[in-house]
Amino acid sequence: MKKLWGIFAFASAVAVLIVAMKIFNWVPSLAQPDLLKKYRNLDEVKVALNLRDIIIPSYFPQNLKWPPSTILAQGKPFPAVVMEFEQDITKDTSLVISQSLSDNFRADGKIRVVQLKERVNYPLKGRNAVLEVGFGSKGEMVSRVFWKEGKYWIHVMSKSPPFELLKVAESMIQ
Amino acid sequence: MDLSRFFYSYPGSYVTQAFFHSAVAAAVVEIALKSWQIRSPSIRQRFLLLAVLFPIFSFPLYRIADSGRDSVYFKMGALFDSSRWASVELPASIPLGAALILVFFMTSLVFFFQELFPVLKHALASGKSDMGEVRAGDDPAISQALESLPADTPEIFVLEDEDPMIFSATGRNGSIYLSSGLLEFLSVEQLRAALAHEISHVSRSRRPYMVVVFLLRILMFFNPIVLLEFRRSVQDDEKICDEMAASLTGKPLVLAETLRRLYLSQEPAANGESAKGPSVTEKMEEYSHRLNIQSRIDRLEKGYAQRSGGEWFAFAVTLLAIVAVNYYVV
Repeated sequence: MKKLWGIFAFASAVAVLIVAMKIFNWVPSLAQPDLLKKYRNLDEVKVALNLRDIIIPSYFPQNLKWPPSTILAQGKPFPAVVMEFEQDITKDTSLVISQSLSDNFRADGKIRVVQLKERVNYPLKGRNAVLEVGFGSKGEMVSRVFWKEGKYWIHVMSKSPPFELLKVAESMIQ
Repeated sequence: MDLSRFFYSYPGSYVTQAFFHSAVAAAVVEIALKSWQIRSPSIRQRFLLLAVLFPIFSFPLYRIADSGRDSVYFKMGALFDSSRWASVELPASIPLGAALILVFFMTSLVFFFQELFPVLKHALASGKSDMGEVRAGDDPAISQALESLPADTPEIFVLEDEDPMIFSATGRNGSIYLSSGLLEFLSVEQLRAALAHEISHVSRSRRPYMVVVFLLRILMFFNPIVLLEFRRSVQDDEKICDEMAASLTGKPLVLAETLRRLYLSQEPAANGESAKGPSVTEKMEEYSHRLNIQSRIDRLEKGYAQRSGGEWFAFAVTLLAIVAVNYYVV
């Protein structure tokens, strides 16, 4: 009985701790509204974070849906924007573009090269880009290219062979 | 300097997450100790050391297990994202992260001057005795006190000093030092209790366990939570040795009386050189020391619970909870 009571008391107190941590995690957004969060559209990001220079592709694969299905952005600790694009029919996230002031910013949660097959330096309209090709967590083909555009690091990740990905990436460079 | 670069780098993430992981581990350990009413100091110590050791390995192990843990998606769904608090700006655009770095820096200083420096000084000074006149402890009172102790006795030395004191030099060749003043101050029975306590320290120090823990603990030199939890676990070491001494002599009340006589019945030594008296810090340290001694006396006088079993279950559940909750702390 004592053991059971111990388990119950422990589980309840840990649950309270978890709720307290979640609240504690939310509190900074009261003092700092420009922390990472979801936005409805790019105009909202531009106004809220005063980010004028969001780089978007001029070429867009036909099977993907415009506008982005999800937009995440932050002004602090450094400006960054993540755009997700879904397949028109399956609604599966197939393209992710991130733009950030820091090279440590990672937005590869939904499309990630789990098993790297090839990594090469790729000249992308005069930029020194890095192209990675491999497989994702479900064995699907995944490719990623990243380069520095002015002060920003641009990452483009796609659940497709690199051919389409590079066309999207090239269309982002003027 | 752009602090976000530090907090997003591998060393910065390690230091920050180690701090928050130890805070969560300390909270979960406290919950476990209360929930299962764990009072045995040796079991308590095992739990407290979880908060000391876990954060050393947590960040790299989590990263191996899930390389996507530092992506924005994981951070959005995390229970606690330290970079959110670190990014909050204080007046004059100073990020709160700067205050955290200051805390790490201050803790490092405390660790160096209060823990590492004395240990290094002791290690470098070993063999070069500056304790004054020392002789072999072959006094009749000592022989009489040791007579009925069922334990291997380390070397005992007597310091020619009228202040009553006793301490041990631990390690593989541990020894016990006591003052000539102590021999006059304590009865044979009380001397036996004091010696049994020090013998317990020497015997425990022969195991490499705490040395390994201390060496690992050095890696967390910047972490204030680890500093506190390690000190709490060291205080439990005194209670473990009290229990061992009580079982060696079979007389816990005599040990309680000895502690009272040695540490509580005497006023703190007056410092003739200082006209101002003790500082606030010294007073607080003295108060804390007396509280600790009083709690040890209370345990010995009121009796302490023996191990009830099932501690390994509680330990496993606690470890599991710490691993699971901290996985979502980035």
